[in-house]
Amino acid sequence: MDPIEKKEIVGSRVTKLDAPEKVAGRVRYVNDMTLPRMLYAKVLRTDRVHANILSIDTSKAKALPGVHAVITAADTPKFGIGVLKDNPPLKGDKVRCIRDEIAAVAADTEEICDAALRLIEVEYEDLPTVFETVDALAEGAPVIHEDRPDNIAMLHEFKAGDLEAGEAQAVHIFEDEYDVHYVTHCNMGASCCLADVDTDGRVTLYSQTQYPFIMKMDIAPSLGIHPGDLRIIQPPVGGAFGAKLDVYPNEPICVLLAMETRRPVKLLYSREEEFIVSPTRQPVEFKIRSGMTAEGKLTFRDVDSRLNNGGYTSWGATTPYVSMRTGTSHYKVDNVSYRARAVYTNNPFAGSFRGYGNVQATWALETHMDQMAEIVDQDPVAFRLLNSNEQGDVTPQGAKLNNIDLKGCITTAAEESDFLKKWQANLGQWDSPERFKRGIGIASSLHNAGGAKIHKSDGCGTMLKMDDYGRVTVITGASEIGQGIDTVIAQIMSEELGIPMRDVTLVMNDTATGPWDVGVHASRTTYIAGKSAQRAARKAREQILAAASRQSNVSPDELDLRGGHVVQMKDGEPVMPLDRLLRQMHFAGEDAELVMVSDYYEPPSEPEDENRYGDMSASYSHAAHVAEVVVDTMTGEVKVEQIWSAQDVGKVVNPVGLEGQIEGGIAVGIGYALSEELQLKDGIVQNPFFRDYHVMTAPEMPPIHMTWLETNDEEGPLGAKGAAELPTIVIAPAIGNAVYNATGVRFNHPPLTPEKIARGIWERKQQMRAAAE
Amino acid sequence: MALPQFQAAPQFEEYVNATDLSAAVAALADGQGTPVAGGTDLWVQKELPGAVAGDRLVNIKNVPELKGIAAADGRIRIGALVTMTEILGDGRLKDAAPILAIAADRFASVQIRNAATIGGNVANASPAADMMPPLLCADAAVELAREEGGAISTREVTLSEFFTGPGRSVRESNELVAAVIVPIQPGRYAGFCKSGPRPALEIARVSMAITGEAAGGKLTNPRIAFGAVAPTPIRCTQTEALIDGKPLDDELIARALETMDGEISPIADHRASEWYRRHLARTYLEQELRHVRDG
Repeated sequence: MDPIEKKEIVGSRVTKLDAPEKVAGRVRYVNDMTLPRMLYAKVLRTDRVHANILSIDTSKAKALPGVHAVITAADTPKFGIGVLKDNPPLKGDKVRCIRDEIAAVAADTEEICDAALRLIEVEYEDLPTVFETVDALAEGAPVIHEDRPDNIAMLHEFKAGDLEAGEAQAVHIFEDEYDVHYVTHCNMGASCCLADVDTDGRVTLYSQTQYPFIMKMDIAPSLGIHPGDLRIIQPPVGGAFGAKLDVYPNEPICVLLAMETRRPVKLLYSREEEFIVSPTRQPVEFKIRSGMTAEGKLTFRDVDSRLNNGGYTSWGATTPYVSMRTGTSHYKVDNVSYRARAVYTNNPFAGSFRGYGNVQATWALETHMDQMAEIVDQDPVAFRLLNSNEQGDVTPQGAKLNNIDLKGCITTAAEESDFLKKWQANLGQWDSPERFKRGIGIASSLHNAGGAKIHKSDGCGTMLKMDDYGRVTVITGASEIGQGIDTVIAQIMSEELGIPMRDVTLVMNDTATGPWDVGVHASRTTYIAGKSAQRAARKAREQILAAASRQSNVSPDELDLRGGHVVQMKDGEPVMPLDRLLRQMHFAGEDAELVMVSDYYEPPSEPEDENRYGDMSASYSHAAHVAEVVVDTMTGEVKVEQIWSAQDVGKVVNPVGLEGQIEGGIAVGIGYALSEELQLKDGIVQNPFFRDYHVMTAPEMPPIHMTWLETNDEEGPLGAKGAAELPTIVIAPAIGNAVYNATGVRFNHPPLTPEKIARGIWERKQQMRAAAE
Repeated sequence: MALPQFQAAPQFEEYVNATDLSAAVAALADGQGTPVAGGTDLWVQKELPGAVAGDRLVNIKNVPELKGIAAADGRIRIGALVTMTEILGDGRLKDAAPILAIAADRFASVQIRNAATIGGNVANASPAADMMPPLLCADAAVELAREEGGAISTREVTLSEFFTGPGRSVRESNELVAAVIVPIQPGRYAGFCKSGPRPALEIARVSMAITGEAAGGKLTNPRIAFGAVAPTPIRCTQTEALIDGKPLDDELIARALETMDGEISPIADHRASEWYRRHLARTYLEQELRHVRDG
């Protein structure tokens, strides 16, 4: 037999494992599932944003034929869900925002559910309302939760260095405000869950959740059961992007109805409910004040922000864990202060959303940095490079920036796009009569790339077994929700065990079989689940090579696994087929052994201490984006013509998956910058449909030129870093800065809608005319 | 406080699958029928009360008399079931009324163009309907059919007299839009402008169509029509009269913009402010008039 060469699987272009099934329409999403005797559920929501509930009469609904259960707060355990446990799944005494759940029905059909909801009578006593954070913080404002009379749901504060000294050193001090808006995930698959309760009261919940293991703890009290009696299965989902990182009322309600009826119950949102009821991205009002020397070196930065928390507290209120890292640590500045107050109002509430608080913080900071550069008459690239963090820096909050390359990202994006030449040329056209003006902008950011230790553990477990035929089954705690960890793990197995990817079977997305994992968030899954999978594979490899060594009398160090064979490391000469070796190991009488290993990986990160100090992630990364736009100065329409993305990815595991993450992330970021906004009026969503909520569609997507910087992370699996969030984080301010470069008008508050831009340019013209006269 | 957002798609008690025109008008005769063809408006209906007449859903997709594009007597009859994609691909129509193909090319997305019908776009009478300004500029008429004494009776209404308000028209609840008829007017200048942050799938904040005989920096026998700046799609007849056949110098263009500004009455809503709608209307008209002048 010929020698077998080492085949590099990690780093090569491979198709996502379930892509053919998805393309063929064979994937069965939770939305597609039915179980025998299954009932459908719907939720009655309030039509008030702040009111006491005086009475709820469900008697007519209960009497409707085909209705099996109608539940209200009176029938259910009194435990709230969410980050502060302030959100009871069904509201009994008071409603605080337009999403509030009053009652839920389980019936034979969805139509009967609708009819039953119309028969439920609710009496309210309206209360004074408050929608703006400034108003909610004012003396005498309506109190949303009685136990928080100041309406502050959460307070985040950090200080380092000496702000006064920083101010004293500063030659230029600049302050501005940046308000970022409500957007929502727009998952293609609407929220859906299906609950099934066995005769012994144990619950199986088919869920779209991103964090199944923690969810058991979070949801159990609201169900009145032990977390151990809950099994969570995650069938394929039509998108999550952070929207499923908390328990929201639909899931406990669905389980409670299944308990009540002793039948499986399915609860599926309409598209309008998806817009109105799903968590949003956290809206924030930032004020940034910062100073610099005459040369442009930053001397201090003071960030104060208010988060519109809405009626209840989900992950939105915790986004400062990430936005604070950008606010205090992106670019070198020793004297920093950061404050964030999450303020209750009668608006809908926010959750987590790809990029977390960093999309918001980077918009504010990178707009601010562009403004600062102009004050010292520097170009945006030079100013950023002057203040860039460098390899080995420890940030004021204790993040150890090892294996990073911020300067490399910035210079790469600038050089690839010919930034400086274009930027300079565009400045001269602000007052020219041309209607269409070209602009170019740059932005960068910092993000955790090795998970984030916001829970007691940030770990993931893997169990691995091989059969008599050389096939491997990997049972991982990681959740596959479309992001591609299935493919990453199969690649790692293939690389480490020298078998084809198709010989890897993955068992995942089920808390009954999988070992613990924190969940899909914080760009962590490839890094942490991938690392655990790699460590398990290496244990299996060691066991196999030790057995091969015993049989062949060749040292294990001189053996390798390639192409389904044990081979000589040096020349690839086959020693024996892998499957035969596995059978020999198995059928060896008293010495019998199965290849059956496990690994639990806890990354070397630490939670923040009470002073918000700590090396929270096992790795950090940067990206820089350049956007080139054309602005129609009459209609205000912006066309993004080209994007350049330079991102430090550690090491590329699968170029196809990475391209997908970057393109998808940028699409979300362009929508954030230009067109997406969940419009609220008095706490009520005005545009709960795709007709008036404008996500990017294929024709608007510009070409994206990507460069990957491979810094080779020392800790990550095969050098890789998390990469999923930076693309969404960085692009929006690059576009905003490009619009400024085109028009000379600065827009601090996204989205930069055509009307906003047209108005801004028109006002600038009026001012110039007035000044000239 | 009324909350429209949790309404499902319209519900119906009865379904009729009409296979010819007499069956279709019979199913509508008592005024309780709701015709459906492409369904691109009806199934997502939220704002236009006129579309849903009654509890009987009448499928007209299989009515042969409503299909196809045919020329006769110097006019072109576009059957109500003709889709935007068909309009886009029809050579005769491109010659007879080029403005229609230009506008159809900007209509929603490929998928919606494949399903949406010209009859539905007219019948729903949305002030923002994409095809109405171009049809107004093409001097279109609407053919309405109904049952009378057991037979089919038709009448023709000019499009400029068809609309009566948002979602409302002179069409009676027992009438069906059977066709849209346009005169053959080859060689006319055709301009179409439509706003939106995206090229695809946009509900126009403002749309404008303009046609006329362009020569020597003048536009003769002009038609100027707007969508989404008034309760119905409108023609700006005073503006048309002002510029008819006159040299489009800067002064005349400025007066045309002022005249047009007085003819439109845009509202402010979550899609745009009144200021922006007026600003867009002026921008589009100025752009097109300059284009006619400068060639």
